[in-house]
Amino acid sequence: MTRISRIVGATILSVTVAIVGATDHAPAQAKTELTVALSSFSAETLDPALQGHNVKYYLSLIFDYLVGVTPEGQLTPAGGLASKWEPSADHKRWTFHLRKGVKFHTGEEMTSEDVKFSLQRAMSKRSTTGYAGPLRTLIQDIETPAPDRVVIVLKQPTLIIPTYLSRSLSTEGMVLPKKYIEANGDDVFARKPVGTGPYKFVEQVTGSHIKLTAVDNHWRLGVPKYKNVTFRLISEETTRIAMLRRGEIDVADVSRERVKELEREGFPVHFRKDEAVLQLWFVLGPDGWVAPTKDKRVREALNLAIDRKEIAQAIFAGRAEPAAVPFGLTWSWAHVGFKATPDMAYPYDPARAKKLLADAGVGSGFPLDVYAFQLPGLPEGKAFAEAVAGYWEKIGVKPKLIPVDYPAFRKLWVDRKAPGAVGYYNIANRDWIGTYALLEKMAYTPSKLNATVNDPEIDGMIAQVMDQTDQAKINALMRNIFTRLRSEHYGVPVVYIHAAYATSKTLGKYSPGAVMYDLFIDTLASGKP
Amino acid sequence: MIRFVVVRLLQSLVALAILTIVVFILARATGDPLHMILPMSATEEDYANARAYLGLDKPYVHQYLSFVGKAVTGDFGNSIRARKPVVELLQERLPNSLKLALFAMIVSLGLAFPLGVMAAVKKDTAIDRIAQIVAVLGQSLPTFWVAIILVEVVAGRLQWLPAGGITGFSSYVLPGFTLGWFVVAGMMRLLRSGMLEVLDSEYVKLARVKGVVEHRVIWLHALKNALIPVVTFAGIYFAILVTTAIVVETVFAWPGLGRLAYDGITSRDFPVIQAVVLTTAAIVAAVNLCVDCLYAFIDPRIRYAR
Amino acid sequence: MSTIAVPEIAAQPIPERRGRRLPYVSLAIVATFVLAGVLAPLLSPSDPLEQALRLKFRPPVWEERGTWANPLGTDRLGRDMLSRMLWGSRVSLAAGVLTVLLASAFGAAVGLVAGYYGGRVDAALMRVTDATLSFPVILLALILAVTVGPSFGNVVIAIAVILWARYARVIRGQVLTLMELDFIAQARIAGAGAWRIITRHLVPNTLNTLVVLVTLQIGYVIIVEASLSFLGAGIPPPTPAWGSMIAEGREFVTSAWWVSFFPGLAILLVVLAFNLLGDWLRDTLDPKLRQL
Repeated sequence: MTRISRIVGATILSVTVAIVGATDHAPAQAKTELTVALSSFSAETLDPALQGHNVKYYLSLIFDYLVGVTPEGQLTPAGGLASKWEPSADHKRWTFHLRKGVKFHTGEEMTSEDVKFSLQRAMSKRSTTGYAGPLRTLIQDIETPAPDRVVIVLKQPTLIIPTYLSRSLSTEGMVLPKKYIEANGDDVFARKPVGTGPYKFVEQVTGSHIKLTAVDNHWRLGVPKYKNVTFRLISEETTRIAMLRRGEIDVADVSRERVKELEREGFPVHFRKDEAVLQLWFVLGPDGWVAPTKDKRVREALNLAIDRKEIAQAIFAGRAEPAAVPFGLTWSWAHVGFKATPDMAYPYDPARAKKLLADAGVGSGFPLDVYAFQLPGLPEGKAFAEAVAGYWEKIGVKPKLIPVDYPAFRKLWVDRKAPGAVGYYNIANRDWIGTYALLEKMAYTPSKLNATVNDPEIDGMIAQVMDQTDQAKINALMRNIFTRLRSEHYGVPVVYIHAAYATSKTLGKYSPGAVMYDLFIDTLASGKP
Repeated sequence: MIRFVVVRLLQSLVALAILTIVVFILARATGDPLHMILPMSATEEDYANARAYLGLDKPYVHQYLSFVGKAVTGDFGNSIRARKPVVELLQERLPNSLKLALFAMIVSLGLAFPLGVMAAVKKDTAIDRIAQIVAVLGQSLPTFWVAIILVEVVAGRLQWLPAGGITGFSSYVLPGFTLGWFVVAGMMRLLRSGMLEVLDSEYVKLARVKGVVEHRVIWLHALKNALIPVVTFAGIYFAILVTTAIVVETVFAWPGLGRLAYDGITSRDFPVIQAVVLTTAAIVAAVNLCVDCLYAFIDPRIRYAR
Repeated sequence: MSTIAVPEIAAQPIPERRGRRLPYVSLAIVATFVLAGVLAPLLSPSDPLEQALRLKFRPPVWEERGTWANPLGTDRLGRDMLSRMLWGSRVSLAAGVLTVLLASAFGAAVGLVAGYYGGRVDAALMRVTDATLSFPVILLALILAVTVGPSFGNVVIAIAVILWARYARVIRGQVLTLMELDFIAQARIAGAGAWRIITRHLVPNTLNTLVVLVTLQIGYVIIVEASLSFLGAGIPPPTPAWGSMIAEGREFVTSAWWVSFFPGLAILLVVLAFNLLGDWLRDTLDPKLRQL
């Protein structure tokens, strides 16, 4: 046997071992790597001030929030950097008491100066986060009387401050290292972010992955269970599922259609119930409502023409339930005490729909532009639009599917260049403040741009919520808003969709929680029993 | 010869210059990137702020000149979506694209050679036809479908190879094969017709008469001469592989240029669109230039035909 | 083994080599699908757009649960696959043929003009051709799709806008060679104008090449259209086109294989047939042509 053939033999052997080793994915006793595959990464910006909700999946591991929440979305003093907070009697000064001894990944201790700096940064002109606008109008000053105390001074009394700075909404509440950013600049920070979270940033390859590694000891999680956490961007579903089967990944978002198959193979699938309400809405014209959807009867007819149960079954593989209230974000209903009564449900009644159209003088139908686009988290989007158009056709409406991508639609909608048309969105479910903030933008006419509801009565109620500090009165107002949205048919709510997350067979217990755009991957990594 | 190379080089540069205008206009025609980066609740003031911050409030001529001025120095500005210098993104992606294309190239040559030679030698027999069909099959199936079936069967069911990403050499096999098979037909045709031509030529006949053993005729004389067009076209195929990998990259979660371009277009990331199109165009131009020079070197008549 | 085949080839006189057997199978496949497309309104058992969500994912008739009402099963919206396949052949073939005709007409015109006039005209046209050739087809189509929205017409235009350049290059090359030949010079001396020389002498002599290229590229266009559908920029729903049908069905390869399999098979057969037909035409008409 020559030397060469020995080398070749050894190579073949080692390749075989490598292949077999890769194929035979033995469950190691102490797994140190956790890999999460997602179909979309959103903007892939690691600077919290440059992104809204959609990046929380991974940023929530690097940063801690001023106010923490439970996976169910309740504010909790145990989950954030503030261990206690209280308002002044007039609700214009909110004092936050900070946890002591919490360190940034650089080793520096987190103080009230960092909180102040982070908030100012989130409100700055450069910031593009979801709630930068409201914070700018609300906050007058931020005081730091002690290293462990921050006082937020407001221009008007409000209850919403703790929630706005919590993990339940966007990224404004994330606490960033003042010294590090001031010393290195925004660009360095965006590329090598530093926070107080359980995982440190290691590497980002845009379009591919984000890799994080555990801190030695975290104030909330103790010694993290996984040494490394990697988020991988895998846009094609077949690929994600193949990787799951091969044991290359531990958690993946999967479409509702594939759930049955995965469960049959023994992969646990965890649902986020009512993750979003899928709703069609009317695009307003420059001056508000446009005929014929200006007519309440027409809007009701469009609602009655759709068989919601059939859509839930056929398009969403049964992982959805009929919805009845426009903007009916159920997670907020629990807070404000609203309940959709059985008589609110829209029956499937094409005959009555036709009659309503005839009463409204459009019995012979009318052309209706339906914009069809793909949205993250909604692989069924285009099929859904096609199905709805099919139902409307049956009552004599002449829907025209316009295929665009979402940014193109959003421009038309915000510029009001497509008056009278219909778009849709999987509106992420959220708590009452999130719901209020959403309604303020979409149903409150004075704020214009993307309003889809044009109703002075609703405008009045929303304006009152803003100034109200009595939670009971707020709840009553919110309930009235929902009731009116439903009775005036301001939109076509179709189904609540449940989001599915499949995990590897060995991962163990996992719940993706009930906070929008957050998967609570950190609960998996908790080193505490 | 030097004059020819210089002229060709200038011509390529002119083509690239034309392309900067085209891509600048096309990128801006796609829409407004602000709708991707600003939240739904953004006010008109927020839009104005962001526009100024990104330099999109300046007149188009100004934007174009600054784009070209910087591009010449190798600076493509910052990605609007990822907020990073585009050059950094290119540095991450370009090597992945080139490596995948190279691997696909090896796969396709590996397939095209035996098929092409067999088809030529056994011309008009069943073997010829089968070889042609095998080659053409790769061109007759949508790449994404081949890719998805391979992922489902080879990675998902048999679990032989990784399904996505780059984790080592084994990651190259599926995307490389999918991409490579797509161009086998073209190469095989070149080889087959080249071989046929040479086998028919006087000097091969002469070799036969002189009693050279048949397989020596095929392998040494015929193949050597039939290779020239294949080698010259290989460059062009390489360019095709780099630029058409977008679908394969999507299915196999391969962080290459195609995927970068796709993300750039869907998020209206002007600097990224511009940079990717110009980079791929430059690769294509460079490859074509080399091929042309090679041709001119082999066959001097071409120098005058141009 | 090779000793049998090679002398045969060498012994073959050239005319006979050109008289290779007609590719009957390929012709039959193309003819079948063309007929299916033309006669789609008569042949299809139901409306290809008629949805019935309750009937979604019915398997083909020979499988368990299959019925004769939908011989090839139904898709995710309960539409009849057979009808969609038939209408799909109309849409997909039309897209392929239209695109290639558009591209070849324009490309050939550019090639003829550039080759005939030479000099600065040639240089200018060829630089534009180079620029076009270096623009990746799929990226341009994607850009156009997000700019003006995907539609049948836009897909055809987007692909043609890139494809013409290949014709321009090949035809120009041929014209350059032809211009060296005596008969063009003679025609010139006889006082023939540019138009006459181009239409009477250059066009007929480049036609063979054009026919070969056109045939080979119809298949290519159908494949590109399918890839665009996968990326969300192809012929949009609800229009039945094979490409978008495979793209829609790809999520269900395991649960409802027929949704992507039948359009996939159709594309495979048609493109294969066009390619083999093109190869045969090349062997017969223009054996020296090497371009894709």
